[in-house]
Amino acid sequence: MWTYEKRLQFPVKITKTCPKTAQLIISQYGGPDGELSASLRYLSQRYTMPVKAVGGLLTDIGTEELAHMEIICAMVYQLTRHLTIEEAKAGGFDAYYIDHTAALWPQAAAGVPFTALEFQSKGDAIADLTEDLAAEQKARTVYDNLLRMIDDPEVREPLKFLRTREIVHFQRFGEALEKTKDKLDQKNYYFYNPEFDKQMINRA
Amino acid sequence: MNLQHLSIASVPIQPWGATYDGPQALKRGTIFQDLDMPFFAADDPGAPNACCETSGSSDPQQQERETMMLQICQISFIADDLRLYLDTHPQDAQAMDMLKNNLAQRKQLLQNFAQKFYPLTMDCMADADPMNANAGCYCWQEGPMPWEGACV
Repeated sequence: MWTYEKRLQFPVKITKTCPKTAQLIISQYGGPDGELSASLRYLSQRYTMPVKAVGGLLTDIGTEELAHMEIICAMVYQLTRHLTIEEAKAGGFDAYYIDHTAALWPQAAAGVPFTALEFQSKGDAIADLTEDLAAEQKARTVYDNLLRMIDDPEVREPLKFLRTREIVHFQRFGEALEKTKDKLDQKNYYFYNPEFDKQMINRA
Repeated sequence: MNLQHLSIASVPIQPWGATYDGPQALKRGTIFQDLDMPFFAADDPGAPNACCETSGSSDPQQQERETMMLQICQISFIADDLRLYLDTHPQDAQAMDMLKNNLAQRKQLLQNFAQKFYPLTMDCMADADPMNANAGCYCWQEGPMPWEGACV
């Protein structure tokens, strides 16, 4: 069950139309390391996690990622809501405009549509948590790259906030991995799959 | 367990450390000073941090709404960050005390906002003030949508 709270986690108030910036930022909506991909990754992986607290963490981080998706979408929306045809043409937003006008659609910066192939739910806690650590790093890199390209402080502030969240989430997934390791054979972490070979798990 | 092993990733468990207050935490993206690791190209010396301030609107009602909304964002963000910390540190009494105190403040702020303006959550629909012109009706659709950028 989810409930909606009618506010953004981080305020977004962008006053200057810029379709070029929107086209770059949209990658964090529907791109390979975007927030939609992140939330679906964590919310898919959580069901079979062998450590209950790790399933709980995946739920909470997956939920926060949904709020981040909303921040990104709000930014794209505010960057394009007063868009003119001339601005769309000059900003390279014309191809997107033809298919979606100024509506939100999950795609990467280069126009590749969102796909579930961007993330995994592997059914092995070590494999999945290692993917989650990498996912946070890849998303951080996207925010680094965006911060190098975008000058508008009204756009940069939410990007900086979101970048820090990736670092915090990395730390939490690292701690979740340590918790999972506690349940495994300390001499050989790969002796069995804790998500599948449940009878083997160290319940001590 | 924090020993290093071959062929598996290790991340140290975060010890409790210095925290930012609500306004600073929201600006920095975390309450934990130890996890605040900025990117060199993100430095904006002297740039206005307009996102975390009210617009200075001349309309007192808009000014009050923005001030309250910003407080709700700041207080709620502390809870967001503490909750993730407690997910991996469930025995940390200091963090738990901080969260309880924070949630009590958040509840009060949400209630005040619903009474003065409109409800932000379904639970707050019960708090809407019947004397308020916006209330006494199905008020869930009152107020701007969050993505309009109208409130802060």
